[in-house]
Amino acid sequence: MNLLFGLSPFLAVGVGALLLMLAEAFGKPNVAPGVETTDAGAGRAGELALGAAVILVIGAVLSVAVWVAGPESLPELTQVAPHLVIDKFTLFFSFTLCVGGALAALLAGGYLPEHGIDRSEFFPLLLLSTVGAMALSAAGDLLTLFVALETMSLGVYSLIGLRRGSPRAAEAALKYFLLGSFAAAIMLFGLALLYGATGHTDLAGIGAAVRSIGSPGSTVSAGKILISLVLVLVGLAFKVSAVPFHQWTPDAYEGAPTPAATYMAVAVKSAAFAVLLRVLLVGFGDERLASWGAGWPPALAVLAVLSMTVANLVAGRQESVKRMLAYSSIAHAGYALVGVVAAMRSPEAVSAVAFYLLAYTVSTAGAFGALILCGSRGAEAVSYEDLAGVGKRHPAAALAFSLFLFSLAGLPPTAGFFGKLYVFRTAIDSGLYTLAILGLVNSVIGAYYYLRVMVYLYMREPAPGAPRAVTMRSGFVATALVAAAIFVLLLGMAPGFTLDMASGAALTAR
Amino acid sequence: MGLTGYLLLAAALFSLGVFGVVTRRNAIGVLASVELMANAVNLNLVAFSRHHAGPTGQVFALFSIALTVAEVVVGLALVLLLFRAKGDVRIELASELKD
Amino acid sequence: MTPGGYFFGVCAVVAVLGALATISARNPIRGAMGLLATIVGIAGMYVQLSAQFLAAIQLIVYAGAVVVLFVFVIMLLGPDAHGADGGKRPGSWARWIAAPLVSVLLLGGAVLLARVSTPQRFRAAPPGHGTIEAVGGDVFGRALVPFELSTALLIVAAVGAIAIARSRATKPSERPASVGATRRLFGGAIHPRDARTVDDEVAR
Repeated sequence: MNLLFGLSPFLAVGVGALLLMLAEAFGKPNVAPGVETTDAGAGRAGELALGAAVILVIGAVLSVAVWVAGPESLPELTQVAPHLVIDKFTLFFSFTLCVGGALAALLAGGYLPEHGIDRSEFFPLLLLSTVGAMALSAAGDLLTLFVALETMSLGVYSLIGLRRGSPRAAEAALKYFLLGSFAAAIMLFGLALLYGATGHTDLAGIGAAVRSIGSPGSTVSAGKILISLVLVLVGLAFKVSAVPFHQWTPDAYEGAPTPAATYMAVAVKSAAFAVLLRVLLVGFGDERLASWGAGWPPALAVLAVLSMTVANLVAGRQESVKRMLAYSSIAHAGYALVGVVAAMRSPEAVSAVAFYLLAYTVSTAGAFGALILCGSRGAEAVSYEDLAGVGKRHPAAALAFSLFLFSLAGLPPTAGFFGKLYVFRTAIDSGLYTLAILGLVNSVIGAYYYLRVMVYLYMREPAPGAPRAVTMRSGFVATALVAAAIFVLLLGMAPGFTLDMASGAALTAR
Repeated sequence: MGLTGYLLLAAALFSLGVFGVVTRRNAIGVLASVELMANAVNLNLVAFSRHHAGPTGQVFALFSIALTVAEVVVGLALVLLLFRAKGDVRIELASELKD
Repeated sequence: MTPGGYFFGVCAVVAVLGALATISARNPIRGAMGLLATIVGIAGMYVQLSAQFLAAIQLIVYAGAVVVLFVFVIMLLGPDAHGADGGKRPGSWARWIAAPLVSVLLLGGAVLLARVSTPQRFRAAPPGHGTIEAVGGDVFGRALVPFELSTALLIVAAVGAIAIARSRATKPSERPASVGATRRLFGGAIHPRDARTVDDEVAR
């Protein structure tokens, strides 16, 4: 019983996905008279979106419930260890993932019918992919890690392939898939070497074997460990879309249906960071590898600086708002990587990263949602010009958009401000002054392109005679925006509670 | 034969796969090259399993085979999607899409 | 050289030649056949590594399913599955430098690694190594959680592939009778050429 309770967040989302599939297959089509279809799910995106959102909210609530009950007081959970490690770290991330998934599902409920992508498969795929992402954040074994990673990724590949007809979108989806499986194969090579070198597939055992290097009687080869570390880092850097493994990101986001891009930006990134933290701290937590002189911190620091700088410089030159948000997500991966580097010295950095990703999840989902509201009937708001005058036409959407952009830029009193504050503070506490200063400078550069959107929202009028996108009205998108806005303000004004939870997560990650 | 021979062969196959992914412009060819890489890794896993004299590596390889099949199914579906939209299966992995 | 050594040599040559065909063949069918050769060669090595069960799985799943799937899609696409690898484009020289560089680096790393790795010979395999019992016991025992998780993976793959490959559904009565099996299977034109004829027929 306790075991079931401990696993309930995973089970709720997984079983919910299956129920949703049944509902989709056997439900009656609900389409306007005159439209002929054999698709049982047609016209039911709304109901399915609601179902998916409810299931994911249940998942989030159950994560909190298990948190409150305390995973350490459920001894039965050791039965699934080390494959699934249910600790507070996992639960915090599974909460974040469920929230991100639920927001994406709500956005899809408004977006898909409006843009003629009435694909009811979207929601079961979203849920199953979230199961993979949650399992990824819990993975304490290479087997689970890889299966979960693939479950999450295959779901996302399918989600972005749902928009048809556009050669560009299809090419972007296929490119993302091919690069993704290429990165997965490279990472698998790393995992195989890790198993070969240590004889273990559980991260704790690998960590112990790595620590034994150099001690008499150890047969573990340091060369293999280093090579596997590099290969695993390449695979995960691809998933978090850190520069220089980011090439696919803008194309894939632009070609994907916006809710799918939202899901990629929030859930895939958060889950990848969760597994990155666990692999580095548990598997490669040896002092020799987790030090500034050698091992992963300098490599990650380079990735972080590159991601922040390149993404911020390129984002300002984008003509498409969606591409700008894609580069913004790359830049945020860079900020979060600063926290991961700091995690080599201070356990608090883990909680800072966890908090940062929650703040990033709600802000990004909100920004994509506001962008959805600015376009309608098959015409997405794409360029900055499309946003001109939205402040007058749709004040609520413009206000929400500004709030989320404030949060992404890291201005108070929003969630993004505290996220950045904690990450950079832990970096300074760990003595990484250069990294923290570079992060701050980049935040200032980043503010430029977020504010540029606001200039268009409020201070520009659409060119006379330009085709004007009718802004969309959707209860689903509005709900998602309100929920995200509440999170952003709550985390921004009263971050103490969530931060306490996040710091609980930090201690158990080791 | 010892472990080294298998590792070298697997590394050679893996490198050939990487070479294929980077050079091919036919999406089906790229996918086949990725399969080659996955096969090389499986060979590694089985050789390590023999080396450690335990079943873990073989189980890992078994899962890896299942994953690759799932991947191929989705990948070929995406190839069909591209083909319907564009009329060929050409893909440029190394560059960003231009307008 | 021992008989085992010869067997390894034959399998290795088959696998490498197959891999070369996979990455170089202009004709995708040849590429798929090259992949098949690699798979068979690797299956032979599995036998030698006393992983009999995996050798069987390798042949059944890879040769029986993956390669057939490749061939199936290549056949569906027809002559358009060819090409794309031929013509030189500006910038393509970069890949011809980058690719060998990457491959040589990888291979060099592997050789270095092989030098330093200590054990050269396998110990005697424990009885039952690689049998269905040994692998199955591990899959349904220690690795039960990833096994369960892989069900989610397979559902995702099945649903996702169907969702991607299926195009917008229409009522069966609206479909022109002359459309071939491929269209009935996937509910949409596979080839732009087919789409055109279908539209023409509808217009008529």
